Amino acid sequence: MIAAILAEWTKIRTLASTAWLLVGTAVLTTGVGVVVVATTHQSSGGGSQDATKLVLTGIDLGQAVVVVLAVLAITEEYGTGMIRTTFAAVPGRVTVLGAKAAAVAALTLAAGTVAVAGCLIAGRLVPADGLGTAHGSAIGSITHGPTLRAGVGSVLYLVLVALLAIGIATVVRDTAVSIGVVLAVLYLPTLLAQAVSDPLRRHIQQVAPMTAGLAVQATTNLGKLPISPWAGIGVLAAWAAGALLLAGLLLRHRDP
Amino acid sequence: MTAVGAPSRTPDTGRGGGLRPALWAEWVKFRTVRGWLVGLGIAVLMCVLFTYLVANGIHSGTCTGTGVTCHSGHPAVPTGPDGTAVADSYRYLSRPLTGNGTVTAQVASLTGRISTNPVNVAPSPSATRPGLAGWAKAGILLTPTTTPGSSYAAVMATGGHGTRFQYDYTHDRRGTASDAAPRWVRLARDGDTITGYESADGTSWHVVGVAHLRGLPGTVRVGLFVTSPVAFRGQTGHPTQATGSFRHVTVTGAANGGWRSQSIGAGRADFYPVLGTGGARVAGDEVVLTGSGDIAPAVVQGVLGTNTVASSLLVGLLVGSIVLVVLAALFVTTEYRRGLIRTTLAATPRRGRVLAAKAIVLGGVGFVIGALAAAVAVPVGDRILAGNGVYVFPAGVGTVVGIVVGCGLVTALTAVAVLALGTMLRRSAGAVTAGIVVFVLPYLIGSNLSGAAETWLFRLTPAAAFSVLGVLPRSSLVDYPYTFGNGYYPLPGWAGLLVLAAYTAAALGAARLLLHRRDA
Amino acid sequence: MAVAGSQRGISGRDRVATARTVQRSVTQPTTERITTVSEQTIEVSGLRKRFGATQALDGMTFTVPPGRVTGFVGPNGAGKSTTIRVILGLDAPDEGHALVGGVPYRRLGLPLRHVGALVDAAAVQPSRTGRNHLLWLARSQRLPVRRCDEVLDLVGLTSAARRKAGGFSLGMRQRLGIAAAMLGDPPVLILDEPFNGMDPEGIIWIRGFLRSLADEGRVVLVSSHLMGELQDTADHVVVVGRGRVLADAPVDELVSRASSGQVLLRTAVPTEATAALRRAGLAATVVDPRTVAVAGVAAQRIVAVLGQEGVPFSEVSSQRATLEDVYLRLTAGETQYRAAVGGEQGR
Repeated sequence: MIAAILAEWTKIRTLASTAWLLVGTAVLTTGVGVVVVATTHQSSGGGSQDATKLVLTGIDLGQAVVVVLAVLAITEEYGTGMIRTTFAAVPGRVTVLGAKAAAVAALTLAAGTVAVAGCLIAGRLVPADGLGTAHGSAIGSITHGPTLRAGVGSVLYLVLVALLAIGIATVVRDTAVSIGVVLAVLYLPTLLAQAVSDPLRRHIQQVAPMTAGLAVQATTNLGKLPISPWAGIGVLAAWAAGALLLAGLLLRHRDP
Repeated sequence: MTAVGAPSRTPDTGRGGGLRPALWAEWVKFRTVRGWLVGLGIAVLMCVLFTYLVANGIHSGTCTGTGVTCHSGHPAVPTGPDGTAVADSYRYLSRPLTGNGTVTAQVASLTGRISTNPVNVAPSPSATRPGLAGWAKAGILLTPTTTPGSSYAAVMATGGHGTRFQYDYTHDRRGTASDAAPRWVRLARDGDTITGYESADGTSWHVVGVAHLRGLPGTVRVGLFVTSPVAFRGQTGHPTQATGSFRHVTVTGAANGGWRSQSIGAGRADFYPVLGTGGARVAGDEVVLTGSGDIAPAVVQGVLGTNTVASSLLVGLLVGSIVLVVLAALFVTTEYRRGLIRTTLAATPRRGRVLAAKAIVLGGVGFVIGALAAAVAVPVGDRILAGNGVYVFPAGVGTVVGIVVGCGLVTALTAVAVLALGTMLRRSAGAVTAGIVVFVLPYLIGSNLSGAAETWLFRLTPAAAFSVLGVLPRSSLVDYPYTFGNGYYPLPGWAGLLVLAAYTAAALGAARLLLHRRDA
Repeated sequence: MAVAGSQRGISGRDRVATARTVQRSVTQPTTERITTVSEQTIEVSGLRKRFGATQALDGMTFTVPPGRVTGFVGPNGAGKSTTIRVILGLDAPDEGHALVGGVPYRRLGLPLRHVGALVDAAAVQPSRTGRNHLLWLARSQRLPVRRCDEVLDLVGLTSAARRKAGGFSLGMRQRLGIAAAMLGDPPVLILDEPFNGMDPEGIIWIRGFLRSLADEGRVVLVSSHLMGELQDTADHVVVVGRGRVLADAPVDELVSRASSGQVLLRTAVPTEATAALRRAGLAATVVDPRTVAVAGVAAQRIVAVLGQEGVPFSEVSSQRATLEDVYLRLTAGETQYRAAVGGEQGR
């Protein structure tokens, strides 16, 4: 297993796009966070905004780059036929899948940590109109419990999204279709929830991977969330596990 | 082996059949990959399915008209002579007029009060402050019936828009008089022709406007009216009430019946939020009317919701677009992946022609799929919404055709833009991700931004093209926050399409340049 | 096909005059002006192209006339494929030009009617059927649909025509690629590595096929990095290395220039045979216990001598040089190349 992980690590490290995608994840996530905070207004409907959640909005975009990274780690091999070489070298299909997942997860963990740290630091530096200590909704220090949970949870969210993408890509095997499916699974229920009214909205937010997973970013008004932060991460983890399980089963029963 | 004569030809460098052979070849390429055809079917199915889901998930929520919660169904919204939804509520003091005649009056004063409660809270006469809505109206109105939504013509003084001659809700002409009272107004009927006049002194009269109300019956009602619409501070609407004082009221012609004071369209089942039903008082020469409501096109008043025939289509259109984005990327990037692009460019060495042929094929396919999906999804969503008792703004055939064509153009332009991206990048990953994120993200993060920033997202990004779904009525005759939050896209549909078209054209231009410069 | 061999040596132009009587191509527009075939040549002149640090083409110059099979040989990386891509207008050279029938490829209107090319046999969309692959090509050249079936028949793929190309073996894909090249019935054919992945039957077929195309007066340029494959097929070879032409000559001439003229004799009694041949004045030496080498004499003479002397033998074979030998000689001076060439000939 260690050898398999090292092999996958070497492969993904030497893929030309990896470095760009990792940098892209960090830059885009932080960038969107800064823009959102800088242009945010205190909503007229009253009720203070959750500043920490707001500054982490960039995850919405950053996860797309993570998805590309994870999908490419799988589909590039199918596209070039290298998957046969891989399976010749490591005949255990599930071992290969696990090794790939470990390599991608490690990279996502690193890039995600940088991205989230960037967001939280930027959020404390960038002055915002509607946010500030006066409203009691400023971004807490990282030692502040809920802020720490939001930060760590967001990194974990990105890692789980990467694993979900690995699973789906292994099932689908084509780059374009995989990315389309993963992004649809993430984004569409979110938009669907915006479009419908309760109680359907709440149900969707409880079971969809993105809405449930991002509940972990909330630091205020936890009682109003459709799902509690860690339970939400659990939902996303279940999605990722389900996708990986299906991928593992298909890998065993399908010729490469 | 067949014996083939050694063909000898002068290379025909000039002709080559133009674009058509390349076009035909690209079409054959597209239709001979079964997976892509299946993808097209999935695009339509997903669009309809998600429209169905969204429509099913929308229920009539808070349905508070004049502080009244309706538990099932929606309040009564009248439709005007042209079938569009209208607000038609006012205080009317009128009498019948048979044949031709005129009504003249001086609007001596126009004052008002504004509720301090928002529209979704039941108004109370005590919670008010003085203030006059800009479109508060007081004047003379002629109508065949007092049923809300009926045809009419009226000349009036307004709170902040001068003297106006208006008829049938959408037609409006401005007079020359200032807002400063007193003003004289006159309405004259001659057959089907109604003419509105204004005067500063009651002796020299100017025509403000002329209306031809076809099929006007012999006997109509004429009289004085006062109304006052919801006034907005920011996003919050407050019902208002206006009081108009008239002097020197004269009616010429066969006006035999007695005067009657009525509150039109301000009942419990009527949708327009009003501040009381008002009343009429005659004191000697002076007639004082108090009224609340509006005679204008109906825009969303926080009561009706923002549902139109197109509103449940958004997510469906996004899903359909995602499927098409994937297909468009695959259409060109598989050629690069397989090396097939060399065969293609050897067969058609004019590379611009190859790109054009691919763009036309994908654009055509995208248009048909988008339009087809919308044509199926719109009636499905419409029917389900109606079944849920949700108010849906009435839309004419023209509007529906506009939505269908608009959706087709959105998917077509998107597919072509992604094709160009795929040609530039030669890989599907970047093209697909960009094609999806660029449309989805404005909807995801827009609600976190300030109103201005959100508006700019839908003005400048390719997502502006979704303005084709924005068919909520807009009117210069109604003061209303026409914001994205209230369902109004900042651009009209055609302008949004132009924004996307500009992006597509830029991407195609760059793709063409790269295709020419690069070795295949 | 048997006649074809006997016609070697007749110039292309003469042969075309006779071949013209054969059935006209179905694709030929009636308005077209009939011109002499000599206009149809491939001219490559002074091509230079650099990919990063690699000088892929370094003054590549040659001309391919009609009526003969011209081999285009050299090891991997010698610049064969790049040259072909430049001829087809796919790659732009830094310097020099390539003309087909006197014009640059990119200016051809419906190019597949002039030039048929097999660039990369693997370049098919796997989920498209073989026939549909030909169909879109036919549409791009305003060719009738029946032309697809004709060329499928020509390459022997009719039975597999409606199968997905993704399931084709490499040999079948080569045939499909040749069918695509033949679609426009072009006077000029360029085939890049058509022998790759072909089974022996396919290789024999393709040799005869190339022969017949040349006999019809077409320009036929065939590249291969395995030079032996072309030795029996090509009339003429252009040998390239490091982006340059090393030799441009008839195969026979090149081979005889490189041949040692040795004859090998296989016999159970090498000592007796050597003695007998030496008595007849021939220079014979024992190579190993079953083989005797004889220099500078025709095989018939050896057979005659041994017959007279009653010496038993099992085989007499003239030792002819191969194109590989030719290549080794041509590149003998360029030491940097040794390793690469040796690697390729290491069998």
